[in-house]
Amino acid sequence: MNVLTRGVKNALRSPLRSGAIVLMFAISIALILSMLVARSSVQAKINEVKATAGTNITIRPAGVMGGMGGGDPLTAAQLTTIKSTANVSSTTLTLTDQLGTDDTELESSQELGAFGQRQMRFESSGTTSATQGTGTTTTEDTDRPAPTPRITVTGTNDVNSVSTNGSNLNITSGKTIDASSNGLVALVGSTLATKNSLEVGDTFTAYGSTVTVSGIYTTDNAFQDSGIIMPLTTLQTLTEQTDVVNTVIATVNSSDNVAAAVSSLETGLGDDADITSESETAAASVESLESISSLALAGVIGAAIAGAAIVLLAMVMVVRERRREIGVMKAVGGTDGKVVGQFTIEGLTLTVIGTVIGIGLGVVVSGPMTTSLVSSQNSTSSIATAATETNGRPGGFGEGFPGSVEQINTNITQVSASLTPQVFATALGLTFLIAIIGSAVPAWLTARVRPAEVLRTE
Amino acid sequence: MLQVTNVSKTFNTPGGPVHALKDVTLTVQTGEFVSIIGKSGSGKSTLLSILGALDTPSEGTITVDETSIEKLSGHAQTKYRGKKIGFVFQQYNLIPNLTAIENVMLALEFGGYPGSSREDRAAKLLESVGLDAEQQKRRPTRLSGGQQQRVSIARALANDPAYILADEPTGNLDSATGKKVFDLLHDLSRNQNTTVIVVTHDLEIAGKTDRTFTLVDGKITTK
Repeated sequence: MNVLTRGVKNALRSPLRSGAIVLMFAISIALILSMLVARSSVQAKINEVKATAGTNITIRPAGVMGGMGGGDPLTAAQLTTIKSTANVSSTTLTLTDQLGTDDTELESSQELGAFGQRQMRFESSGTTSATQGTGTTTTEDTDRPAPTPRITVTGTNDVNSVSTNGSNLNITSGKTIDASSNGLVALVGSTLATKNSLEVGDTFTAYGSTVTVSGIYTTDNAFQDSGIIMPLTTLQTLTEQTDVVNTVIATVNSSDNVAAAVSSLETGLGDDADITSESETAAASVESLESISSLALAGVIGAAIAGAAIVLLAMVMVVRERRREIGVMKAVGGTDGKVVGQFTIEGLTLTVIGTVIGIGLGVVVSGPMTTSLVSSQNSTSSIATAATETNGRPGGFGEGFPGSVEQINTNITQVSASLTPQVFATALGLTFLIAIIGSAVPAWLTARVRPAEVLRTE
Repeated sequence: MLQVTNVSKTFNTPGGPVHALKDVTLTVQTGEFVSIIGKSGSGKSTLLSILGALDTPSEGTITVDETSIEKLSGHAQTKYRGKKIGFVFQQYNLIPNLTAIENVMLALEFGGYPGSSREDRAAKLLESVGLDAEQQKRRPTRLSGGQQQRVSIARALANDPAYILADEPTGNLDSATGKKVFDLLHDLSRNQNTTVIVVTHDLEIAGKTDRTFTLVDGKITTK
C-alpha cells in the first residue's frame, strides 16, 4: 500500500458521506460543463453571424421611410462621392417609383386591404383630419371613391444584385434584362403578369411609353411579385429623374474596412443620407447572444466557486475529523508532503468520480440548457427584427438588405450545443484545479501543526 | 546517548502560563531501559513528547547522538522521528481505516523502506509480537486492546529505531496483557540494544526498569 492506494481507500471509507459529496460536486461539474458548452456554442454563433454579415453598406436619402416617401433623391454629385470613397469596390444603384392609373393600363395585383385603403384615401384627398388619430370613420371618408393600388417599379443597374437583396429572383419565363441599357424592356412579377395576362414579348404602357416584357420572375415575397424591374437609365428617363437614385448599395473590399468606409461616407455625405451597414445590423442582432455568453460565463464562475466550496468544505470537515490521524502520521515519520499528498489524492478520488458523473450529466443537460437560454431571448430578437423591418423597409427591391437581417435573426435562434475538446479540457482543468486546491489547502494547514498539539488535545 | 539539559516547557493558556517542565536535566545511555514516573499532570507526557521531537522545549537543549534536535527544522524533526524514534502510545493511535499490517507498512513507507519488502517486514514484525496472519488483516476496531498495543509496538519497531518512547503502554491493558507488553519492551532493550523510555504511573513496572526518574510538578526529583 502506498500513498495513492491509501488515498483512494480513505476516500471511500464513508460511502454515505462520500456519495453526498460526489453528488453535489457532480451537479456543479454538470453546471460548469453546461455553461461552458452554452458559452462556446453562443460565441461560435456570434462569430459566424459576424463573419457572414457581409460587406454591403446601404445609403439612402435622409428621412426616407421606405415606400412612405420623404427626403430628396441622391444626386449625381453624391454618387460620385460614394464611388470615390476609400475601400468601396462597387456600387449598385436603384430608383423606385410607383405606377398609378394615369401612368399605365396595368392593374395592380396587390390587395390594399382595409388599412391600405384608408391610407391611400388620406393621400388622395389630402385630408389631415383628426379622425386619423382616433380611427373614427367619418361620412367624408365613406363618400370618397375606393383607391386603386399602385404598382412598384424598380430601376436598377444590376439585376443580379437585386436578386440577392432579400429575396431570390427566379426568372420563370423569358430572359433577364440588360440593366446597363436604356431599352424599354422590363421584368414583370409573376402575380402582376397573371393579373394582366402578360406573357414574354407582350407590351404595356408606362409613363406614356411602350415597354416590352422580357421575362417573368417570382420571388418568395408576394409584394415583390407584384412589381416591375427595369434598367435604371430607362426608369430615370421615363420618370424624368436623370442621374438620381434613391438607394445605393456600396460593397466594401473587406469586412475589416466596413467601419472605416461607413465613417468616410458619413463624413462625405453629411446629414443628407442615412447610412446602414450589414455588420452594424448583425452586431445589433447578436447583442442578445452576447448577453447570453456573459451570463454563461457568470454561470461557469458561479458553478466553479460552488464546486470549490463543496470540495473545500468537505475536505475541511474530513481533515478536522482526522487531526489525530494526521498527528499520528507525523509522529511515525510522515512528512507534511506525504500528509498533504494523501489528502489531495482523497479529494481527487472524490473529484474524479464526481467529474465522471458530472460530465455525463453535463452532456445530457447542456443541449437543452443552451436551447433554453437561447430561446429565452427569442422574444427580444423578434422585437429587434420587427423594429428593423418597420424602420422604413417595408419591402421592395433596392430597399437595402431586409432579407439579410431576417437571415441573421433566423441564424441567431439556431444555436446548436456542441461539446468540443477545448471545452471538455477547460472543464476538466477547472475541476482538477478546484479539487487540488480544495483538498490540499485544509490538509496543508492541518499538517503544519505540531503533532504533540494534536495528540494532546484530541 | 540522549541528554536533556535544563529543559523547561511553558504552555500559554487562557488562564495564564502553565509551567509543565521546569529546568529538567537527565541523561539516558544507549540500550538503557528507564522509566519516568509521576502523578497525572506532573509533566511526564510533555517530557516524552519533547524527547521524541513531537514538541519543542521553551528553554534548554536535547541532544540525541550529538544532534540538538530542538534546533532542527520541522521537516528534519519529522525525518528524525521516522528514523530514530519509535512511539508507543497509551491510546495505541492506530489509523482506524488501515489493517494491522497496513499500519505497520505506513511507518515503513515513511521510513523509506522499498515498497516490495514492506509487507514481508511488517508481517514478520507483527508475528514477532504475537499476531498471526489472520489477525494482521484486521482493522484496529476488530482487535483487542492488547493486540492493538502489540500492533503499536510493531509499528514503533518498523524502522529499527534507536529509541522507543512509550507513554503509559500498559495503561489501558489488564495486568496480564500489560505484563506481556512490558516484557516485550524489556526484551527489546536487552536483546537489540534499543534505548527504551517508558512513562508510567505504575510503580511495579517502574521498579523493573534500569532506572527511574520521578517528576513532581515539572521537576525531576529522583534519578
